[in-house]
Amino acid sequence: MAISRTVSAANRFGLGARAGELQRIGNDPRGWLLAQLGVAQPIDAFAGLPDSAGYLDLYVQVQKQRKQMRELKAAGDLDAARRVSGRDGLRRAMQQELLLRQGVAVASEQGFRERLVRFWSNHFAISVDKHVAALFAAPMEREAIRPHVGGRFVDMLLAVERHPGMLLYLDNAQSIGDDSRMATRRAGARKRGLNENLAREIMELHTLGVNAGYSQQDVTEFARAITGWSVARPNDRGSGSGAFVFRATAHEPGARRVFGSTYRQPGEEQGVAILHDLARHPATARHVSMKLARHFVADAPAPALVERMARAWLASDGDLAQVCRTMVEDDRAWVAMDRKFKTPEDFCVSALRACGLDGQRELALSLRLQGQLGQPVFQPRSPAGFGDVAADWGGPDALFKRVQAAQTLAERLPTGIDLTPQVLGDAVLGSALDAQTATALRRAESVQQGVALLLASPAFQWRT
Amino acid sequence: MKLDRRSFLGLGAGALAMAAIPKFALAASSASDTRFLLVLLRGGLDGLHALQPLGDPAFAALRGEFASARGQAAALRLNADFALHGSMTCSAGLFASGQLLPVVAVAPPYRHRSHFEAQDCVENGTTGTSGTTGWLNRCVAAIPGGKGLALSAVMPLAMRGTGDVSTWSPPLANGVDPILWQQLQLLYAADAALAPTFDSIDAGMEGTSAGNDKGDLRLPQAMAAAATFMSAANGPRIGFVEDTGWDTHGGELAVLDRKLAELDAGLQAFHEGAQPVWGRTVVAIVTEFGRTAAINGTGGTDHGTGGVAFLAGGAVNGGRIAGDWPGLGNAQLNEGRDLLATTDMRALFKGVLRDHLGIARDALAQHVFPESAALSPLAGLVRG
Repeated sequence: MAISRTVSAANRFGLGARAGELQRIGNDPRGWLLAQLGVAQPIDAFAGLPDSAGYLDLYVQVQKQRKQMRELKAAGDLDAARRVSGRDGLRRAMQQELLLRQGVAVASEQGFRERLVRFWSNHFAISVDKHVAALFAAPMEREAIRPHVGGRFVDMLLAVERHPGMLLYLDNAQSIGDDSRMATRRAGARKRGLNENLAREIMELHTLGVNAGYSQQDVTEFARAITGWSVARPNDRGSGSGAFVFRATAHEPGARRVFGSTYRQPGEEQGVAILHDLARHPATARHVSMKLARHFVADAPAPALVERMARAWLASDGDLAQVCRTMVEDDRAWVAMDRKFKTPEDFCVSALRACGLDGQRELALSLRLQGQLGQPVFQPRSPAGFGDVAADWGGPDALFKRVQAAQTLAERLPTGIDLTPQVLGDAVLGSALDAQTATALRRAESVQQGVALLLASPAFQWRT
Repeated sequence: MKLDRRSFLGLGAGALAMAAIPKFALAASSASDTRFLLVLLRGGLDGLHALQPLGDPAFAALRGEFASARGQAAALRLNADFALHGSMTCSAGLFASGQLLPVVAVAPPYRHRSHFEAQDCVENGTTGTSGTTGWLNRCVAAIPGGKGLALSAVMPLAMRGTGDVSTWSPPLANGVDPILWQQLQLLYAADAALAPTFDSIDAGMEGTSAGNDKGDLRLPQAMAAAATFMSAANGPRIGFVEDTGWDTHGGELAVLDRKLAELDAGLQAFHEGAQPVWGRTVVAIVTEFGRTAAINGTGGTDHGTGGVAFLAGGAVNGGRIAGDWPGLGNAQLNEGRDLLATTDMRALFKGVLRDHLGIARDALAQHVFPESAALSPLAGLVRG
């Protein structure tokens, strides 16, 4: 069966077609994709949300409240303790962020750009394993990832690694150089010092990839170079510097030797220089190009496609629009035999888009379903992010739950809509709707049952 | 029984089971009908904190103040040399009754410090990270009529492969419309890639709840569910449970107080739920690597090598410490940094599989753990 490139543009590269989207893409699917790689425009739905500095203030305030709560508890005043716990405020703020984000994805006319945003959020994954970091996952996506998906990788890298979400999640906010002024001053007091977690994951996951040949010594040296990269406390403010702060007193003095190069820059510039070099390293170009191609094209993408993307990376100094353009312009990215099994998030978002379900209750329901299907939002079980191949998601239990979820979502369709399941199937799957599924949709005994069938059908489980 | 459509819908997944062929049909039920549960703690458990080598002369300087910090429950002495973390009371009880066997200084053959590669190595059963199927799955395949079950929303690498395995996590609330189900059967039969998966959906299992309202699958719930499924007369002989959150780079005392208590509660839940088969069961609790011997600058530890493993169960020859202790002296540490691994984790697994599940030595060396012919199974892990 021939899958038209219009359908692939919406479903393979985008977040799944909305009714009418295939017509809007029309006969220039490549042009539709490439137009989305331009300069980032602000998203109206996010206007007025607190920035990370605001959330840091909220977090500090809640910490204070919790301290007060513990004291009240110790004093036996449990009612008062409950009133000041403050946790609900954090939870509400997070939930609000997630709902807005889901709403943007469901309504977006720029499915490719939105998918790229989500790809990079998962590449730079932070997880609820650390509660404090979870609060910053959505703001990190808004502040550090969105502005750069069509820009330079190094800019995104610098923004992410200096974001409070990442600094708190991978423990760098507390890391102190052993010979720093802070450590020397505190000699004798409770010993604090180096933490190498962020440095290791930057090299292994964010840039070079694990087989690039760096050593434990490289990790330790890099960790020393980024000592002092931390998160602003309320008394650090006033300079308008936002949530990131460089604590010179915590920075390990001296030159660092990392992955074959020596870095003599003072202070914050040392880590910045290393990130610049990591961003343009051939191993990074290959590692990240491979992940992009695997995400968009196939679990095992053609090596020649990856190689071309990596070359475009190196030629353009990590211009992500160039890398994505190279992928989209290569016929190997459109091979009809290739298809990606939808992740739970893909499944839920594409289902909402297909059915035009964008109410608050439906958005909240979809977030809950993603969790039950094994992909709770911003909660991968590790900094490596969620898996991105069919074997990660395609077991029998998962497939059964997907049928249940399809039914649950279809039951939310408003009654009296004038779409038949078959028309909906044509509108969202186009040429990917096989004859047998079309027949089954035509025979559905109710709109809800037909739409459940569409969402649960094998054809809908694939990004073709 | 007469069912109109509405009541069928109300019964949901449970009703579907009546039409489905029972997944776990007729395994032999006898003394040789043994059970094996693998518990993987992802993130690198700090073995030196879970099982504290109080008898090592270097421990006091490295960890003494840390392990006995204010607010820490007193460690539970096992013998002159080792003590369990104070949260692990059930484990200590099992040790006292000879049903817990800590194994020290264990690691998979992987010798670098990436979580993800180390976990892949623990799960794929090779010496490297490229294997895309799991050794537990190959074990299932090596047992005539063998079935495996992973308590997880998605199939973990350890269980991936051609053996007869499934996953389970708490069900969604709604049942499935049988008419929808019928139509889907036809459609999925036509999709070559998804047909086998759809075919092996076990609607009966999908109706089982986790025993709590929220549908959580934290370690205690997962181990309780594992006990329910594995203690059924024809339940899966091989199970897999996983847990995350063991990567303790900072503030380790508080994290491990909570996590080790959870692990202990999980073991207790399994012990209670699996009573019918407990005497024929081995639970292996492992992690991908150990952590640094010294505490780092943020009250935590970084990635190291030698870790700890625990075998628990009525079939375990426990109440003693297994493995070779390499020592914590500076010259004894691996790269002056972390505990040297003296036991290859595959030797531990091979010992259990050979003596407990009766998997032939050749099958172990050639299929379950390829490249391991030269590696002898550890002997004496289970009761003879």
